[in-house]
Amino acid sequence: MSDLHLEIKNLIIEALGLEDMTPADLPSDLTLFGEGLGLDSVDALELGLAIQKRFGIKIDAEAKDTRTHFANVASLAAFVSAHQAA
Amino acid sequence: MPLPDTWIDLHRQLSANRPGRPVALGPRLEHPALVHRTLVVAGALRERGVTRVALYLEDAADLASALLGAWRAGAEVLLPADPQPRTRERLAGADTLWLDDLDGLEAAPLAPADLDPQACRLVLCTSGSSGEAKPIGKTLHQLATEVEALERLWGAGLGDATVLGSVAAQHIYGLLFRVLWPLCAGRPFLRRAQPFPEDLQRESRALGGAFAWVASPALLKRMGDNLDWPALRPLRRVFSSGGELPAEAAARLHERLGQWPTEIYGSSETGGIAWRQGETRWQPFAGVALGLDADGALHLTSPYLPPGHREQTADAAELDADGRFRLLGRLDRIVKLEEKRISLPMLERALAEHPWVAEARLGVVREGRASLGALLVPSDAGLHALRNQGRRALTETLRRHLAGHCEALALPRRWRLLAALPYTSQGKLPQAEVERILAAPRPLQGEPGEARDTDGEWQLRLQVPLDLAYFSGHFPHTPVLPGVVQVDWAQQLARRYLALPPRFAGLEVLKFQQLIRPGDTLVLSLRFDAERGKLHFAYRNGDAPCSSGRILLENAPDA
Repeated sequence: MSDLHLEIKNLIIEALGLEDMTPADLPSDLTLFGEGLGLDSVDALELGLAIQKRFGIKIDAEAKDTRTHFANVASLAAFVSAHQAA
Repeated sequence: MPLPDTWIDLHRQLSANRPGRPVALGPRLEHPALVHRTLVVAGALRERGVTRVALYLEDAADLASALLGAWRAGAEVLLPADPQPRTRERLAGADTLWLDDLDGLEAAPLAPADLDPQACRLVLCTSGSSGEAKPIGKTLHQLATEVEALERLWGAGLGDATVLGSVAAQHIYGLLFRVLWPLCAGRPFLRRAQPFPEDLQRESRALGGAFAWVASPALLKRMGDNLDWPALRPLRRVFSSGGELPAEAAARLHERLGQWPTEIYGSSETGGIAWRQGETRWQPFAGVALGLDADGALHLTSPYLPPGHREQTADAAELDADGRFRLLGRLDRIVKLEEKRISLPMLERALAEHPWVAEARLGVVREGRASLGALLVPSDAGLHALRNQGRRALTETLRRHLAGHCEALALPRRWRLLAALPYTSQGKLPQAEVERILAAPRPLQGEPGEARDTDGEWQLRLQVPLDLAYFSGHFPHTPVLPGVVQVDWAQQLARRYLALPPRFAGLEVLKFQQLIRPGDTLVLSLRFDAERGKLHFAYRNGDAPCSSGRILLENAPDA
């Protein structure tokens, strides 16, 4: 598991108060919203804020479908890396 | 304020003919097309002999067509609170046609006609305090009265703004503000809800003109600084309803947008009761008459309620002489999470149906995002599951069990496992106590129930807490009490009863013979051999020795 994946997993657990989960319970390809982990749109809002704050990046408000990056831990990590490099 | 010339009464929508009048965007729909689609839906429902439809439609224009079409066909319309399989089954059993979309509803259209404002009925569903979904009937007349009042209050300021919403049109607020009001006023509305700030911004700016938002605290208190706030200034008004917007969130919006959000206080039962903009006190809508019952809970009569009907709420309030009021919180066990009303008794009953549960009480955990937490007393089977599959298997199984009864946001995220619920001597368990336990960390130690001294040897009776924090890290699937914790407990507890030298100096003849697991009742024996500086400890579970050893203790070396 890469450091970034691990950091994002811990961020999800912490930001959303998922007390009984550990990073090991959160495979990087697990669907976060709806089926899978079962998070909802308010979690998506919370996670959006937490990701922007932790990594000092901004979700582009003019790009379409930015929320597709929130599908799973792997896609979030790719999103964060791309924005940090930019 | 009189209604503008462009206004079309709700009951006259299907007999009006206004070519070019926009109804919806994304994709665009004009009034004649809406009327045609609606009359086709009406024809299809009539042909099938449908008398009751349940609508769960994401597209607000489809919702308008289905609602008006069902009314035109003489059917009653139900807006279910959730699309859970259980809800669908219940309604299917009650001769109700469930519609997730309008596909396949084709037939010859019925003729255009006015609707009967008293005969056309809508039934909303919400959680009552008993936990059963509570049906609330509304006539077309009540709904029309409310949207007319909204137009008189705010219509002139909105002008030709397009209406976008972050909330579903499934509930009274979204239905009135996102669909029926704009429909009657001739303001186009966006078909789909935009639950994320960046989507709301992009769709708003793409309009190229003025717009208004129908939003909720869930969104408005989570608007990030990634938005282009100056570009959002063509925003004519921001509505918020479903729960109180925290004052700091309102102030931040004011700072960023140059206007205060307009908050609406109301419920499915009552319709709109009052509004406020940048103030703590609420202003009742015209014609709403308020009072308080003996418990201080607000009741009201209103033009949006049947004549003569007084609706009692469970909201505590304080009324001022000038007619405004403050809200002081709910008096029952209904909680709101992100504007969703959740009945704690209903979920507690659902939890108790599971064979692993002896008893359960729920409360709200207010850290970060507010969520539910559960105090759980496992049954024998539940205890067996905990001991053999681990805590997470237990809580996940119960979450999955509950998922059939409620929306995902009501699933408890925090669990505290207890041997018994801490009822008071009067047999009560105050909600504040439930929430205090949920907010506290999981225990690190068992409390001795009984301690006896026999010739210098102490015998402590000790129950291993079900929820010991150590059980999560160590062997998560088969929780056992780690040996290091056993030694630590022995030393800490011994210090309560025996005078011991302060420094730990080592361990001798440690033996671990049997695992100690959640819920075990142990006897811990403690004896201090002062001559040799050795604390003898032994844990037994009934007759079976679990572990024993000697802890070496010494005085601090002389300075």
